[in-house]
Amino acid sequence: MLADVAQNTLDGLMLGSAYALLALGFTLIFGVLRRANLAYGPAIMLGAYAATWVNLSFRPGLFVLALVTIAGATLAGAYVERLCFAPHGRRTLSRDAAAIASMVGSFALWMQLEELATLWLPKHLYSFPPLYDGPQFAVGPFLMRVEYIAMMACAAAACYGLHQLLYRTRFGLAVRAVVDEPEAARLAGINVPRVFFLVFGLASALGGLAGYLIVTAHEQVTPMLGMWSTFKGMIAMMLGGLGSLPGAVVGGLALGLIESYSQSLFGPQYRDLIAYLVLFALLATRPAGLWAMLARRPAEAA
Amino acid sequence: MSRFLAAAALLAVAAPAAAQRLAADVDCRPTKHDLVYDCRIALKDAKSGNPVSGAEVSVGADMPSMPMAHNVRPVKAKPGAAPGEYEARIELEMFGEWALRLDVRGPVRDVIVKKLAFREK
Amino acid sequence: MDDYALGVLINMGLFSFLALSAYLLLIAGEMSFGQQAFFGVGAYAAGIGTAMWGLSLPVAALAAIALGAIAAWLVGLPTLRLRGLYFAMATLAAAEMFRILFELFHWQRSVDGEPVGPDGTQGFRGIRWVLEQGIEQAGYAAIVFTLLALVLAALFIVERSRLGATIRMVGEDAELAAVLGVNVERVKLGVAAVAGALAALGGALYAHHNTYIEPRNFDIMLGVHSLAYGLIGGLGTALGPLAGVALDIGLLESTRAFQGYRMIVFGGLVAVLLIVRPRGLLDETTVNRIGARLRHRGAR
Repeated sequence: MLADVAQNTLDGLMLGSAYALLALGFTLIFGVLRRANLAYGPAIMLGAYAATWVNLSFRPGLFVLALVTIAGATLAGAYVERLCFAPHGRRTLSRDAAAIASMVGSFALWMQLEELATLWLPKHLYSFPPLYDGPQFAVGPFLMRVEYIAMMACAAAACYGLHQLLYRTRFGLAVRAVVDEPEAARLAGINVPRVFFLVFGLASALGGLAGYLIVTAHEQVTPMLGMWSTFKGMIAMMLGGLGSLPGAVVGGLALGLIESYSQSLFGPQYRDLIAYLVLFALLATRPAGLWAMLARRPAEAA
Repeated sequence: MSRFLAAAALLAVAAPAAAQRLAADVDCRPTKHDLVYDCRIALKDAKSGNPVSGAEVSVGADMPSMPMAHNVRPVKAKPGAAPGEYEARIELEMFGEWALRLDVRGPVRDVIVKKLAFREK
Repeated sequence: MDDYALGVLINMGLFSFLALSAYLLLIAGEMSFGQQAFFGVGAYAAGIGTAMWGLSLPVAALAAIALGAIAAWLVGLPTLRLRGLYFAMATLAAAEMFRILFELFHWQRSVDGEPVGPDGTQGFRGIRWVLEQGIEQAGYAAIVFTLLALVLAALFIVERSRLGATIRMVGEDAELAAVLGVNVERVKLGVAAVAGALAALGGALYAHHNTYIEPRNFDIMLGVHSLAYGLIGGLGTALGPLAGVALDIGLLESTRAFQGYRMIVFGGLVAVLLIVRPRGLLDETTVNRIGARLRHRGAR
């Protein structure tokens, strides 16, 4: 019984680290630009598809595949940023209207990128080489997977790295200035559009890394990856607290734990039901998110 | 409320037709072209199991997960060898699960929906 | 007009009900990713009504509308305080919960010796009322468009009335509306209920056109599309979301040459369109200008 709880917790944390990585990228964009990017998942999917194609044609090493995924996702993300986010500046639109226009544009590009991917590689499922082709790790009676350990490590490293970037570099200072007071930042000489572009690229690269780790863990790539990644990232972000980086990690891990326990207690059909129920209940009662509750700070609310 | 009086008036004009239920067995084989399939349909009465021949069968397809989006233009099926058998060649937009819609006219009017998974070879 | 073209038109009509449902909430200031849930409620309710209980479509549709309104009201109660992406995600969570509940919903009744009814992920087949009545595509198209026309007429009347102004005021600036004495929560709940009813009506008609529904029909894609139609077509008038529907589905059909590339074209087109017209095609400013021009011409 206790072993079950421990295994479920481990599984949940492993699953949650994938969600945490996805949420980090999504949150960077939302936290800095205050806009939702519905094409986030599909950009990651394009990166994964690029790596799949490279794998089918050349069978290179894992490192190359990781690079291709990240590069593909970043390129796709840059395309989305240029077409849907950069044009809707604050010159003529209110903040809300710009956010909505960018979101709808990103929805349109979501559809476009998904179709591009399925035209490129039309099969319903492609296999992807795993990170570690050997027996599963066992620490005592508990099974662990190398890919998920790598994900946890990457999520932790990403969180730390982002923190360092935001608080120890000039670029990070510029980003924080833009988040707090965009007009003042612009007047202080910060190139706001360039900051947005770079943050977007960083978020897409993070997403690409998340995508790579996810497809090596699943050992397959399917066309569902796009929508799945976007919404898992969004749900994890909302659970943890909109626009907060530690919140993204907390939310991702929480989502993983909820899914793991629900599946083991009630079966796979109820897994998603319970996750959505928790999200709904949280939004109805404490929309500020888990991180705000845990850290007890006055974070952004409705 | 007025919208329903209007609709009810329209519906009152329509005459009820034969409510015979049909059943169908559908078997789709891939052809040498990707996403093109030759489907053989065996149409029969749902209760008695008797084959239904001489009907006009039109085969359309839609994907359940994004309804009305992947509309495949319906194809008229040709009568096959045995009584109650029909053949049609359909062209799909992508691999995955499709809901084939068999529109039957002729002696009997019915619509049968069959879900089939079309996977790559 | 051949049956296929009529089928496409009917689909446009059905989608329009969903798009109008999302539009209503948009002008009240809320972005919903979840109207597809009420479309589904309407579809299942009406299907159960006609296929399992032998009701006629008008009666079953009335029941569907009532259930859709109630469901929307229930979802709205705890969530309409939220705004922006918070509300959007809450509605998405609710809609996905509905979809999973449809997957778990098994209820069959023996009709004429055959089991009929929703069968979880296997779906609900045999919704044959329209066939049994001998209504063909042309007749059904007439029904769908008559109902749509009535709905549009009702919306136009409301938009010109004080209620319409109140709703838009709540959408523009809820705090200001509250200060002016408007019961913002009641207005939003009312709008949500009507939006749910509208989506449910569309769902009832969809179920009877398709004769077969399954939970996967009512997933996130449907919801995000319906929201997008209003935002692309413009929120200045109820014709805006219809323009969005026509653009998407019309593009699918008129660009047969683009088969397989439709989304690439649509996606690129919409993204560019939004750069030129960030508030959609028929946004409030455009509609006001057109209205002023028409009135000016009338005054001469």
